[in-house]
Amino acid sequence: MISQVFILSSQGDHLIYKDCILMHYSQENSLDLYLKLVGITILLSVQCPQRNKNLNFIHVRHSGLYWVVSTKDNPSPFTIIEFLNRLAALTKDYCGSLSEKSVRMNFALIYELLDEMVDYGYIQTTSTDILKNFIQTEAVTSKPFSLFDLSNVGLFGAETQQSKVAPSAAASRPIVASHGEQVRKNEIFVDVVERLSVVIGSNGVLMKADVEGEIRVKCYLPTCSEMRIGLNEEFSIGKSQLRGYGAAVRVDECSFHQAVKLDEFDTYRILKVCPSQGEQTLMQYQLSDELPCAPPFRLFPTVEKDYGSRLLIFLKLRCDLPPKRYLTFVGISQTVARALLLFSLSQELSSPEQSAELQPRSKAVLWTIPRFPGGAQLSAVFKVEVPRLSSASLLEVGPISMSFELPKYTCTGLQVRFLRLSPTQPGLSQRWVRYVTHSDSYTIRI
Amino acid sequence: ETNKLYCTSVKCCIFELKAELNSDKKEKKKEAVKKVIASMTVGKDVSALFPDVVNCMQTDNLELKKLVYLYLMNYAKSQPDMAIMAVNTFVKDCEDPNPLIRALAVRTMGCIRVDKITEYLCEPLRKCLKDEDPYVRKTAAVCVAKLHDINAQLVEDQGFLDTLKDLISDSNPMVVANAVAALSEISESHPNCNLLDLNPQSINKLLTALNECTEWGQIFILDCLANYTPRDDRESQSICERVTPRLSHANSAVVLSAVKVLMKFMEMLPKDLDYYGTLLKKLAPPLVTLLSAEPELQYVALRNINLIVQKRPEILKHEMKVFFVKYNDPIYVKLEKLDIMIRLASQANIAQVLAELKEYATEVDVDFVRKAVRAIGRCAIKVEQSAERCVSTLLDLIQTKVNYVVQEAIVVIKDIFRKYPNKYESVIATLCENLDSLDEPEARAAMIWIVGEYAERIDNADELLESFLEGFHDESTQVSETHTHTHLQHVLHKHTQNTPDSDNPDLRDRGYIYWRLLSTDPVAAKEVVLAEKPLISEETDLIEPTLLEELICHIGSLASVYHKPPNAFVEGSRGVQHKRLPARTASGESAESPDAGQSVGGVSDAPPAVIPSQGDLLGDLLNLDLAPPSASVPVVPASMQMGVDLLGGGLDSLVGLHRPSGSQYIAVGLAGGTGGMPAGLGGTPAMGGGLGDLFDLGGGVGMATGSYVPPKAVWLPAMKAKGLEISGTFARRGGGIHMDLSLTNNAMSIMTDFAIQFNRNSFGLAPAGPLQVLTPLAQNQTIDVSLPLNTNGPIMKMEPLNNLQVAVKNNIDVFYFSCQYPISLLFVEDGKMDRQVFLATWKDIPSENETQYQIKDFHLNSDAASTKLQGSNVFTVAKRTVDAQDLLYQSIKLTNGIWALAELRIQSITPNYMLALKCRAPEVSQYICQCYELLLRN
Repeated sequence: MISQVFILSSQGDHLIYKDCILMHYSQENSLDLYLKLVGITILLSVQCPQRNKNLNFIHVRHSGLYWVVSTKDNPSPFTIIEFLNRLAALTKDYCGSLSEKSVRMNFALIYELLDEMVDYGYIQTTSTDILKNFIQTEAVTSKPFSLFDLSNVGLFGAETQQSKVAPSAAASRPIVASHGEQVRKNEIFVDVVERLSVVIGSNGVLMKADVEGEIRVKCYLPTCSEMRIGLNEEFSIGKSQLRGYGAAVRVDECSFHQAVKLDEFDTYRILKVCPSQGEQTLMQYQLSDELPCAPPFRLFPTVEKDYGSRLLIFLKLRCDLPPKRYLTFVGISQTVARALLLFSLSQELSSPEQSAELQPRSKAVLWTIPRFPGGAQLSAVFKVEVPRLSSASLLEVGPISMSFELPKYTCTGLQVRFLRLSPTQPGLSQRWVRYVTHSDSYTIRI
Repeated sequence: ETNKLYCTSVKCCIFELKAELNSDKKEKKKEAVKKVIASMTVGKDVSALFPDVVNCMQTDNLELKKLVYLYLMNYAKSQPDMAIMAVNTFVKDCEDPNPLIRALAVRTMGCIRVDKITEYLCEPLRKCLKDEDPYVRKTAAVCVAKLHDINAQLVEDQGFLDTLKDLISDSNPMVVANAVAALSEISESHPNCNLLDLNPQSINKLLTALNECTEWGQIFILDCLANYTPRDDRESQSICERVTPRLSHANSAVVLSAVKVLMKFMEMLPKDLDYYGTLLKKLAPPLVTLLSAEPELQYVALRNINLIVQKRPEILKHEMKVFFVKYNDPIYVKLEKLDIMIRLASQANIAQVLAELKEYATEVDVDFVRKAVRAIGRCAIKVEQSAERCVSTLLDLIQTKVNYVVQEAIVVIKDIFRKYPNKYESVIATLCENLDSLDEPEARAAMIWIVGEYAERIDNADELLESFLEGFHDESTQVSETHTHTHLQHVLHKHTQNTPDSDNPDLRDRGYIYWRLLSTDPVAAKEVVLAEKPLISEETDLIEPTLLEELICHIGSLASVYHKPPNAFVEGSRGVQHKRLPARTASGESAESPDAGQSVGGVSDAPPAVIPSQGDLLGDLLNLDLAPPSASVPVVPASMQMGVDLLGGGLDSLVGLHRPSGSQYIAVGLAGGTGGMPAGLGGTPAMGGGLGDLFDLGGGVGMATGSYVPPKAVWLPAMKAKGLEISGTFARRGGGIHMDLSLTNNAMSIMTDFAIQFNRNSFGLAPAGPLQVLTPLAQNQTIDVSLPLNTNGPIMKMEPLNNLQVAVKNNIDVFYFSCQYPISLLFVEDGKMDRQVFLATWKDIPSENETQYQIKDFHLNSDAASTKLQGSNVFTVAKRTVDAQDLLYQSIKLTNGIWALAELRIQSITPNYMLALKCRAPEVSQYICQCYELLLRN
């Protein structure tokens, strides 16, 4: 099973190092040797597992830190990747936020967590419910959390049904209160996050659309009380099943956290769960091909060969969302000329807050739009100077790819109808719900 | 303030820490220990503080205690004497009223790998294994595994293994899971003792615990279940039913462990069972779900899916779309997806796949684009209907003029030409336009090959070749080889001469041989160089079936990601056991043979026919590619004089070339052989013993032991071989294969220096010794020689399969002939299959591999037939009589491990025998059927 666990900074320094099966001291620095060989940046671009000198390394990356496990025998890489993800999530839960600094400050806490999570390389538990019985060390936070710190309300600000907004930092404090903290806030955050990937063919026809969604809960309630999450009643799973009248909210595939009780799910679409402290994913779902809504964008590209060696790219982008909605951080990139090294760009954009730049490494033009309201239409003209332009070069103009974030919106239409705690928590308990759809693979072919 | 913990300056010296550790204040002590551990993490040696830290051990503050224990674990090994100091505290802590402290003590002391300590730990451990608190028990269970690693004998002597076994029935699932994990690990280092003792009762307990324990515990239990072999298909089904709910678990590791159990136990279910189909359907969604995970998981999932698709393509055949590449996938995920896409490509989805591949070919990443182009070629080869569309897609890509796209496209078009000869030459003109841009060896070689192959259709082929010739000296070997070959091909077409001059001796010699060949006998040369190229195989990179089976047993592990068996990368004894898929056993039959579990293991032993497809263009000319068997045996005209010594020195240089690649040319020359013979060949060590062996010569000839020997036939008529007539036959005697030859000298002169060589053939037949003709063969003399053969020679699929091309040399010339051997020659003596195994194998071989054959007008009864066949190693496994017809079930094993199973139906009413033959390598069936008739009639 697991031989060693490392948490490395982005420069490759050891922040945490635990030797689970106590290998000989000489092998302790096996990872260092390996990294010296390949460099820390290699971890960014290679698949895991990687093998070096009888040891297998498996790594994941969270918040700029590398979480690495080495192993000598033949364990399941799935187990190890899941474990590392869980370790990162728990570290975040216990330390409040995840950064090189917070890990350095809380190393004793993390060692204690690791001791309870892994014994002799066997994973014991990753549940906060069990762990909270054992963990003694208190988290050290760099700055005591204050609700009055509302400086950066924005994209990550949560929104409730009452349109109250919590600051983005609200969900980044340790789940276990320190003794110094006077008022214990009983808060619960529910996120419905959807990831959209779309391929639109050169003829404008939607070729492929996938939605992967999940309902995540971050819970600060110290005692376990049952939470009931009501989803849309017309929510249906699979192709055959249809519920209610009108437009159903449909997904293909749905899986739940093992703690979720589903006895009321079939009839009332209610998820019942006693959430453990910390963050967990209650439900994951997928939908492919049949989107209930039209794709949020339409793009009308024209690529022409201008006189001389100039490539003319005219892009017209329309957002088909209702005017109330808006997109943030839209990035559009298009490969222009793969084989050629030198070219220059001139541009005409429809508003000054947008920007466009040429990315020499990916040989693409990146057009950035900070905010794009529904119903609006934007256009851009790019003139790319391509030496030795031939008609064949037009064939080289690659697909357009967009990435964006769409707050307060789900593609499937999934909504949380209500969020109830029973028995009702004594004292203040606040519930926050937010929705977001994002995409980093929205491709339009030319 | 806490940042100071990481301070690396001189101030934080050991001395300062020492003082703080000995402070009276608890808080200060705690901070000091924290600082020590921080230094430890960054790699500083703080072992000098050992006694001071140990002094802090006796405290009621749990946080401090944990920190001290953390330190102890790391340094106890380097300070064994000091570690003894801690023992008392350990023993005391193991009896602490607080279960957290008891568990902490037992956990830590197992990690202290000091021999002196271990003895003191046995008593506390024994108590903790029976502790009332499950948290202590589960920790103690792991401690047994730790102790076993330090001192296995101690653990056995103290009876801890039995206590551990008892814990499998514990009421707490966490304890069960840890006990299972510990026992699994211990039993891996003791493969023989059956520690886990899996039986239906214990399996039932595990299945119950499965529903209750944590996700990580579920993984231990599922992995343990996968090692169990159910007694029959019913038990297998019931386990599958109880494991299937795990497929929807959110933890991918649980899902994969469940998939492993199901893939393994499915093997035992009959395919016509409804449940089998249901199970197949249930396996697809969880695998698809894995692909929406983060890239790290996606990659390991894809590697596993790659195995599953090879084993059971039906699971994911409708899921092609999920393997389409996303824009933001990392490159290693993209490449894996592409691989699976090609494996799943079929006529039903090929249009969609091609459209995707064409898009991929316009992406930025060069490796990915290349692989996409290559994939288009593979689609063409795999799905014939799509070939035309693939070719036109490739032509479109060539139009982009992107250098590496063009080169890659040309390489795959070459493969398409090989698969579908004379179909798509219309595109050659387009290819020729791009000649200048080719700068990679593989692409150049492919282009040269195409030009050579279709030289007749390209007007300026010689010009094109000349242009390639300019850079001849700089080319890599691959290009040069193809080039030489092609050039010759071309020359043969055009009948012009050109001798390449190169520094690579191998190449130069080859060119030289060609040239010699050309100048002596253009016809023969044409047949050598233009010999039919072996077919290109449809699937590439397929994992060899036995390895695939083993890897399926390791689904979800590192082995399944590396596609290597665990013993290839795990050190030591662990993982040495090869895992096998269970064979199918029907519930009704298992009652008779309780040991079916073991015996069925052998079924999958028979490796399916692996006849390597010929990768290289040349068909490896250096191995004396003889002309294909035909009436026109290439015989060099007799009119040749010594001046053109292709046959003397020429052949010798040919032989010389052979040497490095494992020559089979075995020559025995009498003293004073031809002077032109190089020393390396003439001085064969076999020569010395030559005379002594003389008397053994006839010994083996003509002694039949029941095995069928066809009558001798004339293989090489005297008129074709300057007076040497060769007739012969093949026989199987005493477990060995012999080629019995009669050599007759019809010429006017004495013949000496006989030697024989075989071309590569389907079953690797090769001479096991020299051709023993030790006295010169006088005029009109005939000599019988028995040449022992083995099957260790190089393999190449022949058409027909049992064709053998032979070259015989003597002092006069080299002669070539081809002959066919009865496939019964290859039936081995240990070909009798166990009844159960026979049954299981028969069911396992799909019905499309069955061949029906009728033997007409044959009147022998079943017993006589059985005896007759047994003489030639066709073994009757069982006999049944149903409705006045006898059914003989027979097994045959070939020298290369291929099994053939036969059902011979003998009716008393009609004189016809019906033969049904099942074989995993159906290409041999036809020959075996013919042999049956031959064996029965003789």
